[in-house]
Amino acid sequence: MSDSNDSRSASLKPSGSASDGEMTRRNFLRTTAVAASGVAAMAAVLAPLRELADFPSLDQFLQKHYQEMTPPEMEKVLERIAREVERQYGLRPHVRDLKPMSGVEFVYCLNLTRCVGCRKCVHACVAENNQSRSPEIQYIRVVKMPNGTFDVEKGNHNYAPETVPQKGFFYMPVQCHQCKNPPCVKVCPVKATWQEADGITVIDYDWCIGCRYCEAACPYWARRFNFAKPSIPKDKINPEMSYLGNRPRPRGVVEKCHFCIQRTRAGRYPACLEVCPTGARKFGNILDPNSEVSYILKNKRVFVLKEEVGTLPRFFYYFDV
Amino acid sequence: MSADYKTTIVLMALAAAFLALTEAFRLNLWGRVEPPAEVAIVDPFFTNTMTVRTNAAALIRMDGDTSGQDCYACHDKAKPPQVKMNEKNEVVLPEEHNDLVIQHGRNRRNDHCYNCHDSANLDHLLTRDGHRFKLVESTMLCASCHGPTYRDWEVGIHGRVSGYWDRQKGPVTKQDCTACHDPHSPAFTTLKPAPGPHPLHPSPARVQAKGEAVHE
Repeated sequence: MSDSNDSRSASLKPSGSASDGEMTRRNFLRTTAVAASGVAAMAAVLAPLRELADFPSLDQFLQKHYQEMTPPEMEKVLERIAREVERQYGLRPHVRDLKPMSGVEFVYCLNLTRCVGCRKCVHACVAENNQSRSPEIQYIRVVKMPNGTFDVEKGNHNYAPETVPQKGFFYMPVQCHQCKNPPCVKVCPVKATWQEADGITVIDYDWCIGCRYCEAACPYWARRFNFAKPSIPKDKINPEMSYLGNRPRPRGVVEKCHFCIQRTRAGRYPACLEVCPTGARKFGNILDPNSEVSYILKNKRVFVLKEEVGTLPRFFYYFDV
Repeated sequence: MSADYKTTIVLMALAAAFLALTEAFRLNLWGRVEPPAEVAIVDPFFTNTMTVRTNAAALIRMDGDTSGQDCYACHDKAKPPQVKMNEKNEVVLPEEHNDLVIQHGRNRRNDHCYNCHDSANLDHLLTRDGHRFKLVESTMLCASCHGPTYRDWEVGIHGRVSGYWDRQKGPVTKQDCTACHDPHSPAFTTLKPAPGPHPLHPSPARVQAKGEAVHE
């Protein structure tokens, strides 16, 4: 080691050589060789950084927080998103920013007596909400539970039998519970996630810094992180988009179920409900006494997952008998 | 050995080391994590919103092929067919109806054809208390026994309801009982489950330990 240091200092200050103080041809060649190979090694080690090239544009960088944007500013942002989607996926989306409706608070009810664990909701959700197909991001996790317990530790989400349901088990799909007291909102250091007036906890994907605190805080394992740039086949894009909902997400942000905000704020049922072959999923406005969910909460036995953690979910499990 | 010669050796060694490093980084010998395997696109079957079966009522409503539903293509209008019973008092189906699975109620308690079908008018339905319904009105026949379920169905919490939760914005579609339940064997059918979650980084040790892939 000391030897090499000595000789390097010798080459930098070639006092011992014949050509004292000046750059000889040999000196030049060997220094260049070392420098070039050093640069090559440096370039090789930095090569992974090339993947970071998807920098935001200037107006995206200077964009305000969702709650501080004026309607004209939002118009511009929606236009930018539409342009960006068209550039990447080759089709013009219909991007909207739907606001909560007054007198509406959403509640979801899921009938554990009826769910057969077919996972169709999982994939309808992926298709509706433009989730990354590979790597895979799914908002709903269907847990196969042995009869007689609600301990999710005893559950398994990797079941793959020929047919479902299997005897001796029940199936419990878990997704964002849209809590009234959401721990994920409390931990966000930049206020990129918040609860809207209709009870949906939303994320501003342009404000999220990807710290994943919310993912750690959620007791329902509802949040997903985009480790890679989401990949969605061009023919699978759902062009009906909303700012807080299913517009394509960048890499490095968190996303989760938002009760299909682009559908439900337009009066429609969420995609997971529409696809459920058993009709186990029910959705509606809890402030409307005639809605399905009001009937369920009044008349059925209802179970709240992890009630003891005090998150006050707007997602209820119920039973027929 | 001259100092100049030594310097050349050391510098050349350095250059060689750098080139070796370059190649090592390029070949990714230290293992930046390999990208996970491509996940296949899920079969569109799992995202379609059809009911699990096509019932006679739907076929009649959409003017589909109902030739298989014409009772009097075989039966005689003048005399109602006799229902054969075996020694255990179970209905024995004639060969022509072998495609039916009779499994209504525990231990086939409700297996007699004329519990629901009208013997005098085979393409109609007849409740126990004498109400006659067309095939498209089969839900009312089911309701004549399954009261609580019918009540839930009416308010929209039993069975599939699709469309608009906000009734001012649009209509809802409710399904007949027979869109999901086979009236002759009404227990909900078993289904093929859609593919489960793919692991981000399957670790062979853990996969073997648990017998299945683990999602981190």
